[in-house]
Amino acid sequence: MTTTARLKFEGITKTFPSVKALSDATFSIKPGEVHALLGENGAGKSTLLRILSGVSRQTSGEFYVDGKLATFKNPEDARRAGIAMIHQELQQIPNLTVAQNMFLGHPLKTAGGLLVNRREQEKRAAAALAMIDPSIDPSTPIKNLKVAQRQIVEIARALLENAKIVAMDEPTSSLTPAEFESLAVIIEKMAASGVAIIYVSHKMDEVFRICHQGTVMRDGNVVGTVDLRTAAQSDVIAMMVGRELMHEEHNSFVKEDVRVEVRGLSSAVTHVRDVSFTVRRGEVVGIAGLVGSGRTELLRLLAGVDKIGSGEISIDGRALKLTNPRSAISAGIGLLPEERKREGIIPMRPVSLNMALPSLRKFAKVGVVRHSAVNTTAETLLKRVNLRPFQIDRPIKLFSGGNQQKAIIARWLAAGSEILLFDEPTRGIDVGAKSEIYHLIENLAAEGKSVIVVSSELPEVIRLSDRVIVMRNGRIAAQLERHELTEQTIVSHAVGDAEPNTLSSTQEHTHV
Amino acid sequence: MSDIAAETPKRSSKLFSSFSLRDAGTLIGLIIIMAVFAALVPGFLFERNLINILQQSSINACIALGMTLVIISGGIDLSVGPTAAISAVLTAALLVTGVPVPVALLAGLGIGAFCGLVNGVLVAYVGLQPFIVTLGTLSTYRAIALIYTGGNPVLGVPQGFRSLFNGNVAGIPNSVIIVAVVAFAAWVLLKKTPIGEYLLAVGGNEEASYVAGVPIALTKITAYVISGVLAALASFILIGRLGAAEPILGNLWELDAIAAAAIGGASLMGGKGSIVGTILGAIILGAMRNGLTLMNVQAFYQLLATGLIILVAMMIDRATRGRG
Repeated sequence: MTTTARLKFEGITKTFPSVKALSDATFSIKPGEVHALLGENGAGKSTLLRILSGVSRQTSGEFYVDGKLATFKNPEDARRAGIAMIHQELQQIPNLTVAQNMFLGHPLKTAGGLLVNRREQEKRAAAALAMIDPSIDPSTPIKNLKVAQRQIVEIARALLENAKIVAMDEPTSSLTPAEFESLAVIIEKMAASGVAIIYVSHKMDEVFRICHQGTVMRDGNVVGTVDLRTAAQSDVIAMMVGRELMHEEHNSFVKEDVRVEVRGLSSAVTHVRDVSFTVRRGEVVGIAGLVGSGRTELLRLLAGVDKIGSGEISIDGRALKLTNPRSAISAGIGLLPEERKREGIIPMRPVSLNMALPSLRKFAKVGVVRHSAVNTTAETLLKRVNLRPFQIDRPIKLFSGGNQQKAIIARWLAAGSEILLFDEPTRGIDVGAKSEIYHLIENLAAEGKSVIVVSSELPEVIRLSDRVIVMRNGRIAAQLERHELTEQTIVSHAVGDAEPNTLSSTQEHTHV
Repeated sequence: MSDIAAETPKRSSKLFSSFSLRDAGTLIGLIIIMAVFAALVPGFLFERNLINILQQSSINACIALGMTLVIISGGIDLSVGPTAAISAVLTAALLVTGVPVPVALLAGLGIGAFCGLVNGVLVAYVGLQPFIVTLGTLSTYRAIALIYTGGNPVLGVPQGFRSLFNGNVAGIPNSVIIVAVVAFAAWVLLKKTPIGEYLLAVGGNEEASYVAGVPIALTKITAYVISGVLAALASFILIGRLGAAEPILGNLWELDAIAAAAIGGASLMGGKGSIVGTILGAIILGAMRNGLTLMNVQAFYQLLATGLIILVAMMIDRATRGRG
């Protein structure tokens, strides 16, 4: 008798109006197997997990849990079928207690179903927590816990539910090495009891340490499944990245003169501390680092979004006084935010006006915006960034992510920004648009603009940057010149090999 | 450059593009209501009655224009009625003591602007929710009007002031002309000025607007100040008609104004709204009341009809907008 696969995907495809996020994904996972899902951002891992956990539904294809066809209409169906999701972004309710969060949606009842049995909930929660971290008190509100502890609560919740399949999306992004070790033990125990574990992580060492099999995804396709116990790390990385895009020549347009000079910059609201660097005319500076290392927060400081605590930013030798984004914009700084939907676009407004928003006054004559002037500029600039479809009057929400991103780039071209800050410019957009954005960034550098790019994708950082700043715990860990750039060196500085305890990257751990 | 021109989609003429599909829907709604009453009420479509409808709609239209701008910015102004009352009693009291009309007028508009400024500052700088802020000032402003007058109406508004707001030019009531001018100004503001685009942007996505350098606080405060000024202006139309200013005037005006804006296509989520639509919405409500009164329908049933028309309008809006 052959063992039935605990989970089997057959031709899962998911299309969105403008992008094919997942195409014909087929692979299976055996009981007791720790299965890594590998791939860059936008490869389709999250889409697959969302389908597995009943959050969204596949366009075509099917999947089976213990040989049974799964037809989940909602997350609750998936939960009942024994699937537990541990999200990277914790989905917990801050004001409720640990136990209440663990039993959220299906509380233990008493008095004939009228009341919640809080005592029993806390007892069972404590038992589950004891397996990982007995120091967490089930009766404390979630908001009092550190991020790592909250992550542990999520894992304990999966234990509590006796899940058959546990999917973990970047579970260690906020854990210390010691915490990772205890997680590894838990995972081994769960696997030994027959649970299938799907493990998504960008940290290859961890993946090779705890996973048995790995399925590599790229641009929505399954590239293949490899046995991680025998495969070489470099081969797996090659499978993940393996696209010609990354092998394109890097072109450098760095000029002599320093345009941006940052001295001892610290944030008033985040853990960014004592950051100093310069950017030359025509230079592309990449900023790398783990999630939470302060990359985004640094850009927000430069763009006037977050309040500066101390330090100085000067442009062309002139010190700036940044009090809000407006002051940064008038100094010639433009920010392409990480969360495009939340911080970038005005969904219902036309692309043309999304583009013109920061520079409306330039288009106005005696207080009246000349829409013909807006449209002329929009036509030129949106043509330049290759907006598709080329309909400048259409609400921006109807465009794909990549095209929304192009419109925001055009926004700063229209505003005449000389210093461009790109935060994860290609997150969640397809390969074609990605390549276009790379070329755009190069063109901007060629024109003499200075560009700072934050990216989690190392091949992207290496492809684009003349120089790379690696951040760790809100500080600059290293500045690497072009000839020093390899994924290895960047990662080792980002993780801080020499001081393993600094892996924990959120500010809760660094008491200042 | 030539290929850019070739690929540019044809833009419809300016006048048409400012009259959206949604506005066309509101207009169709108005036409249907007019047609129904024309069939039921003899003389409904007479010129005199049509002018009556416009005149009766003018106060609500005036308030609703300000309300539309506030709603577009993502807020709400529940305090318009009491704001109107404060400005009415102050203006009337000044007029009665013999202050020249222009001075009294400016004082009235000024106090309206100040009431709006207080709302705006509490929303934009203190960071309170618009609903709560204006719920609080709804009571506060009403109380101030009552305390100031001791609860008594201010009588004897001079004829000069009354004829300014209650007279007519070539048969068209001044109130209608005033509101038409205000509507045009509001339309220009929303469609043609940076602040109009800022209102739409802030209501559409405040966080993104901030990152894009939009002056958030200034934008919101502007909307509330305009709403306050227009409430004052609406009160002038009323005291011009009545010749007296009651401290309790303007009760429930905010609800009619919100209804007109919503029927006209404003989204209470912010970021969306139309001046043309709001005016049509106010006329729809006015025409309903006028028609039902002419049919001698009891007030209770008029209220019922108004409520139903709002719900039906919103359901049609929802159904025709489609998903996503």
